[in-house]
Amino acid sequence: MAALTFTHQNLLHFTPKLTTSKPYLKPKRTKTKLSIQTIRESPQASFTDQFVLQLADSLEDSLPSSSSSLPLQKLRDNSSETLLSTQWPSRKDESFRFTDTSFIKNSDINPISHPPNSLDLLEVSRDTHFESFNFVDGFLVDSSFSSSNLPDGVYVGSLSKLSSEGILKRVCELLGDFEWGDLFWSVNGLGAPDLMVVYVPEGCRVENPIYLKYIAVEGADKGSKKMLLSNPRVFVLVEKGGEVGIVEEFVGKVGSECYWTNSVLEVVVGEGGKVSHSYVQKQSLSAAHIKWTSVRQEKTSTYELVEVSTGGKLSRHNVHVQQLGSDTVTQLTTFHLSVGDQTQDLHSRIVLDHPRGYSQQLHKCIVAHSSGQAVFDGNVKVNKYAQQTDAGQLTRSLLLEPRAAVNVKPNLQIIADDVKCSHGAAISDLEDSQLFYFQARGIDLETAREALVFSFGAEVIDKLPYSFVQKQVKDHVKALLKSRRKGSS
Amino acid sequence: MAWQIQCTASPPPLPSFPPFTLKSTSSISLPLPLTRSSRYRSTHAPSPRPIAASFSAVESTTSTDGLGDSKTPLLEVRGLTAVITETKQEILKGVDLVVHHGEIHAIMGKNGSGKSTFSKVLVGHPDYEVTGGDVVFKGENMLDMEPEERSLAGLFMSFQSPVEIPGVNNIDFLHMAYNARRKKLGEPELGPLEFYAYIYPKLDLVNMKTDFLNRNVNEGFSGGERKRNEILQLAVLGADLAILDEIDSGLDVDALRDVAKAVNGLLTPTNSVLMITHYRRLLEVIKPTFIHIMENGRIIKTGDSSLAEVLEEKGYNAISAA
Repeated sequence: MAALTFTHQNLLHFTPKLTTSKPYLKPKRTKTKLSIQTIRESPQASFTDQFVLQLADSLEDSLPSSSSSLPLQKLRDNSSETLLSTQWPSRKDESFRFTDTSFIKNSDINPISHPPNSLDLLEVSRDTHFESFNFVDGFLVDSSFSSSNLPDGVYVGSLSKLSSEGILKRVCELLGDFEWGDLFWSVNGLGAPDLMVVYVPEGCRVENPIYLKYIAVEGADKGSKKMLLSNPRVFVLVEKGGEVGIVEEFVGKVGSECYWTNSVLEVVVGEGGKVSHSYVQKQSLSAAHIKWTSVRQEKTSTYELVEVSTGGKLSRHNVHVQQLGSDTVTQLTTFHLSVGDQTQDLHSRIVLDHPRGYSQQLHKCIVAHSSGQAVFDGNVKVNKYAQQTDAGQLTRSLLLEPRAAVNVKPNLQIIADDVKCSHGAAISDLEDSQLFYFQARGIDLETAREALVFSFGAEVIDKLPYSFVQKQVKDHVKALLKSRRKGSS
Repeated sequence: MAWQIQCTASPPPLPSFPPFTLKSTSSISLPLPLTRSSRYRSTHAPSPRPIAASFSAVESTTSTDGLGDSKTPLLEVRGLTAVITETKQEILKGVDLVVHHGEIHAIMGKNGSGKSTFSKVLVGHPDYEVTGGDVVFKGENMLDMEPEERSLAGLFMSFQSPVEIPGVNNIDFLHMAYNARRKKLGEPELGPLEFYAYIYPKLDLVNMKTDFLNRNVNEGFSGGERKRNEILQLAVLGADLAILDEIDSGLDVDALRDVAKAVNGLLTPTNSVLMITHYRRLLEVIKPTFIHIMENGRIIKTGDSSLAEVLEEKGYNAISAA
């Protein structure tokens, strides 16, 4: 009970409430978390983080009262347990060394407890040009997608509407089984009002991509301290030999400024299966966006991610790819753009434990604002049995303004001795020789710079597998770069 | 348009000057023989195709300068000196050169003699800094112009090793450059489709397939493709003076013939070419009016195409010793 006697300025918004049924004050430590080890040495260490406690409380309150299905209940119980042993991350934690989350902590966080009214929904479905599954403020709403377009045996929809016992059992086995998560992973686990399931049965190839659109409708004004939190969660299970494309797009409704989307996507790719994942993040520039993507790959499976993130005041993507068998193919291609006072952060980790894995990672970022920042921590771990692994990693950053900052930490940890690995990092302004080539053909410097900046990101955008996504992302990035040019002149 | 009429009607041949050798110390003050030389019209090997169409954009640029007098040079370089920006090492030590409309000039010389530097300085490459002398192009002081202004004024240089620009489509690049030109001329910019219609016939000229346009600028291009791409840009943008910096390097015989054919196809009676080369074989397919020998940052000898034969037989030493 001692914990409650602590006061913290951030707690003033909250009225703490303790329920005896929850093991709040019995923090369970996870051995793997370095952050907890260090905190133990500090005087406050043995106490639960008050702020986190409050957050957990308000998340519980926000959940629908109706009973949830078994996998979801299990997830919530585990998450709530973990959450209470976790401190809010500080700059002292290695994984948040360059990413300041105090912006979220200093806000008045309100988990959104109900889906928006039908009028908003109408508006949302209108501006969707492609058949999509829509998450509105973290709630999966009835979609424009007709499931008759899907092959037999494929299930895409809410866990609560899932009738197949077989699929339910598989989801129950695999959901949330993840030891690398951080506080935000647990916040989602506790706060997700529903779970969306994408199930692809053995040998089934889904032709059209599953398009998931996450829309933040409720948001506070820019000046207010209020921050509305949503926790969408999706679970993708592709059985042996199955194939599917997933497109995730995150947007805020026009006029919604301050909100926090805390999203989790879990992917399990069975033997020989393939998941092609496109992830586009275009949140409001005042929003917080934190996302986890956890991927487990069985042997000979393929996972390809193409990400373009441009929104959010704070945007963080945690990607964890775990190899469960040999001969896997993993490709991560990401592009981050900070045109404002923004932090764009990618923390990726690829863990290879089996022979002949192939992994390629390309991360590019542009910081085009003097108080903008990009962070990249890319870890590739080639363990003892991952012989003949072929792993490559390259990060390139473009800093376009004085004082723009980038912190990159590409790192390969190799224990196996028969591997082919490469990595590299380059940070630069635009190449003079390229600029001159434009000029020599009569193109003025400003136009040349714009074209070169855009082309830097286009290398990643061109890898998006669907042309309709490619086009809208290109238009969006062009508009952002143009707005920057206008703003500076 | 008046000047064009005058130019196409060739002036009466003036007596040809004997090959002229500069004395190394007094180059700046010497009168240049080139300004009054006759034009070796017959050496042009004009192409049978109607070439004037490909220079439409340029004709309009040149017509604005009101150059009615064929004696006014297109390019006049006097005592040009330049250093490497970074090290301040002097490379050009007083270059003099005059190019008239319709002439083809070739500059030859040993490695390190300053040929390529000269061409880069003319187009305003930032690696070099001009320390003295004048460059007048179409009556204007070119040293005051930004590189893009020089290009828009009608100067084109094909790069010896053009840089790769990943992520920028070849057709987008050409489109941007072409529209910059139209904008300069006060003409409406072309939309993507109109531009495609404009550029499509030009691909034949450099013997290129359509997919060439959809590749990124110079990315993964072979040596031959890069040179062709430079010539394609010349064909699209046009130029009063095209500087071809070693367009023959790294080309096999067939590719060289293609490139030379394309250049010959682009020649008109009014536009001029300045070629930089090591080899005589290029001069056999694009016949120069004058050959200049460059050594140690200066043009030390100027002559007609027979100079190339002397070079071939006796080497550069014979010329610098003379």
